[in-house]
Amino acid sequence: MSHDSHHIIPFKTLATVFGALIVLTVLTVVAAALPLGPLDMPVAILIAVAKASLVVLYFMALKYDKPVNSLTFSVGTLFVVIFITFTLFDTAFRGDLGDVSSQTVDEITRQETEAGERQQQFTPEQMAVSPADYEALQNNESAADTTTADTADTE
Amino acid sequence: MATDTTTDTPAAPAQTEVDLHDEEHLSHLQHHFVSSEQQFDSAKLGMWLFLITEVLLFSGMFVAYAVFRQWHPETFAAASQTLDWQLGGLNTVVLLASSFTIALAIHFIQKGEAMKSFWLQVGTIALAGVFLVVKYFEYTSKFEHGVFPGAMFDPHGVAHGVDYGALASYAYAPQFFSIYFVMTGIHGFHVVVGMILIGWIASRTYRGHFSSEYYTHIELSGLYWHLVDLVWIFLFPLLYLV
Repeated sequence: MSHDSHHIIPFKTLATVFGALIVLTVLTVVAAALPLGPLDMPVAILIAVAKASLVVLYFMALKYDKPVNSLTFSVGTLFVVIFITFTLFDTAFRGDLGDVSSQTVDEITRQETEAGERQQQFTPEQMAVSPADYEALQNNESAADTTTADTADTE
Repeated sequence: MATDTTTDTPAAPAQTEVDLHDEEHLSHLQHHFVSSEQQFDSAKLGMWLFLITEVLLFSGMFVAYAVFRQWHPETFAAASQTLDWQLGGLNTVVLLASSFTIALAIHFIQKGEAMKSFWLQVGTIALAGVFLVVKYFEYTSKFEHGVFPGAMFDPHGVAHGVDYGALASYAYAPQFFSIYFVMTGIHGFHVVVGMILIGWIASRTYRGHFSSEYYTHIELSGLYWHLVDLVWIFLFPLLYLV
């Protein structure tokens, strides 16, 4: 009875797990230095989950423990995942609530970017529309776009 | 135990009485438990339930981190750069090592080698101390440049190639550092509690209170200490690296 439940984890297993944890720590630092772009976060989380699993299964000995303890921990972890995911369902998409246009946010953003890029191609002379713009051109001021006059003043 | 209650042979109850009589000699067995085994399992389940409440406590802060990071990714990227990943990495290795030593402390008490277990517990406390000292230097280097949590946030100056003044141009930089200080602060508090806890069981181990038959306190303190390590495993990449 005593032998069944009080599994003594061999020294070698513990040392191997410790070594693996150190290797994974180095790996997470290296992965963060690499230009992975949007994959940065998933990779970091994945490595952290791998490390956490090693600690929980071997150091905390859930692998050898009574199933009821694993159940307790799993259910708790499940609720943490629900907590984070469902909060982000709200906060990550809040800006879209007032948007009732048929286009997606991505499409609108893309159109705005294109319009901005098109504007860059024009010379100040071509951009001049009001008398004030021509006046500014004569004074050798580059900011001919009157619609951005407010921000130009504050700079 | 299950077989004792299901068998109807007269010998079975007698056997139980003998078992109970034997267990009465164990000074550590409390009267409301049938056996040491049951007492140990109950304590362990209770500890796991407590640990889950701890995980949920930290999960609230991880949610705050996730929400603010998702809203202000560029602020979090810039503010995260001002944290010293080398010190954070060092602390990660220190905590992993302390988890290893406390796991070994349990390994040796299970084998009945109490003094080895004692010294490994002392080693765990020492490593926890190293963690706190590194954390102290990290905090003070931030405070020197006005990087405080909350309303006192007033970053200025340049040190070790880190431009703290540039943080002022990020509207949500104070939120990042509030999250950083609260998460690492509460984690640090858990480290201190863990040191006190392991200090107490180390003194009891030294006085010979524990054996391969009875080491519940060491096992549970070990579980608590691994949880402290677990939280840091997530804090390190999220705050320092990504």
